[in-house]
Amino acid sequence: MTKVIKVTNLTKKFEAKQKEAGLKGSLKSIFKPQYKSLKAVNEVSFNVKKGEMIGFIGPNGAGKSTAIKMMTGILFPSEGKISVLGHNPQIERKKLAFKIGSVFGQKPQLWYHLPAIDTFNLFAKIYELDDQDYKKRLKRLTEMFEVESFLKQPVRKLSLGQRMRCELIASLLHKPKVIFLDEPTIGLDIVVKKKMRELIRKLNKEEGITVILTSHDMEDVESLCKRLIIINHGKIVYDGSTKKIRNDYLTKKRIIVVLNEKVDNLGIKNVKLLYRGAYKHAIEVDTTKYPVREVIKKILSKHKVNDITIHDPPIEEIIEQIFKKEV
Amino acid sequence: MGFNKYYEVGKISLSNSFVYIIDFLAKSLFIGLIIFIFINLWKVVYGDSTSLIDGFTINMMVWYLVMTESIVTSQGPLLEEIGDEIRSGNIAQSLNKPYNFIVFKYAAGFGNTFLRFMLTFTIGAIITLIFVGGIEVQLAHLPLLLLTVLLALTINFLMIALLGIFTFWLEDARALHFIYQKFVFVLGGMLLPLELFPQWLGDFSRVLPFSYVAYHPAKLWVMFNWPDFVNVIMNQLFWIMIFIIAIALVYRICIEKISINGG
Repeated sequence: MTKVIKVTNLTKKFEAKQKEAGLKGSLKSIFKPQYKSLKAVNEVSFNVKKGEMIGFIGPNGAGKSTAIKMMTGILFPSEGKISVLGHNPQIERKKLAFKIGSVFGQKPQLWYHLPAIDTFNLFAKIYELDDQDYKKRLKRLTEMFEVESFLKQPVRKLSLGQRMRCELIASLLHKPKVIFLDEPTIGLDIVVKKKMRELIRKLNKEEGITVILTSHDMEDVESLCKRLIIINHGKIVYDGSTKKIRNDYLTKKRIIVVLNEKVDNLGIKNVKLLYRGAYKHAIEVDTTKYPVREVIKKILSKHKVNDITIHDPPIEEIIEQIFKKEV
Repeated sequence: MGFNKYYEVGKISLSNSFVYIIDFLAKSLFIGLIIFIFINLWKVVYGDSTSLIDGFTINMMVWYLVMTESIVTSQGPLLEEIGDEIRSGNIAQSLNKPYNFIVFKYAAGFGNTFLRFMLTFTIGAIITLIFVGGIEVQLAHLPLLLLTVLLALTINFLMIALLGIFTFWLEDARALHFIYQKFVFVLGGMLLPLELFPQWLGDFSRVLPFSYVAYHPAKLWVMFNWPDFVNVIMNQLFWIMIFIIAIALVYRICIEKISINGG
């Protein structure tokens, strides 16, 4: 298997201006500015093989996006080496741009007032696509993503889910070999999220496209990526299979129940109580010892339940656990 | 191969701008109002309409102003756009496409700029024809005048783009833009022809690039002559070259300093 991305000792320093609070601090920072050097990405190394789907996760400000922006050539690393598809992204940014695609969930690339098809036609010219190839490609993608019905509506009139599908198409028109997806499912509802994941999986399978995905959403990563890289404070804290994380760390589920009647105690054994209200209760279950199914069955048989939801513990807690285990 | 994409973005951005047509029209009408105020001001200054001020009749003076106002106010909010892209982090989307960022911006903006120029000029011309009257312009000179206008719009774009690139690093270049505008207003001869300035200031302003945005093309418009025309075109091309080189150099330095905000 060939390596499409090689990253060695990648570091990005930011000089952040420090300012004390208030007017006095502002004045002081004009005459005697103080800088603090922050390492957003700190000696990160990893390789990505062709056709792999990799999940990058970490809390806000962990350095995920900074790392991605260096791989696409937008940001310049302070130290270290990057090679993407054999190119140095900083020196050959334009050449590389023909071969990679990117979707930033919070940064739209479609023209807001125009129909998506106009942006697609523009991108066909920007990526210097052959007319015939482009038409075929567009047809395939619009069918696959089921967007034909609203292709001609101004983007501002589309729902977020429709818009994100169009954003993804815009990034795929030129058949990129690697695609960077930065929070592609942010703000989407569960049904649309699921749909997006299916599409990404299909693309990877049918076109062998390498996918680099960042997300807050553990489910996104779990359902798509076999391999997972966890970043915290600019450093890689985990690089390995997603299954292992699931087995070793995602052993707890949180169940939130809203009951129809006032109950002091749920009366379920072997669970950790997180919150007890009049109607609302939250518990944590260790799934290695007690299957979630059993616990829910018990709750449902004992109480009149209005609403029940199951959650993974937040990513921050997993990272904390990884640290604890290392120590 | 390369040119096609820039032509295409010019087209798409022009069609996008029809969303803002009311905005365009309002701005042009406002400039029409300013021209109307200046007409009354010049009428008082000139007294009887046959006198000359530094070689300008009142008709020439007003038509000069119509031209300078139309050129200078036609540039869209380029600096704000670049600033917004940088503050919001959207620049990430522009920088990972296979095109030259500045050429792309030029292509995207030029259609709008020219549309706004034509609109303001038409409104200014109507007001001037009603309240002052026409001037003598030879039909054969019109394409030549149009050429100097297009080059003037290009110089204006390049100077603002240069300030825009500083935004990569200053985060906010609005103060620079404010100063730049005042330079064009005064030293560029937008408000008054440079003939009305003290000799030394007029001579100084004439060689600066700002006057090639406003004064020189507008002077040709009211007093065309061949030697001046050739001279203006040559100088405009000279400044365009200088600014392209400056932008290329500054861009290379600033792009490494860029920090992308947000997520």
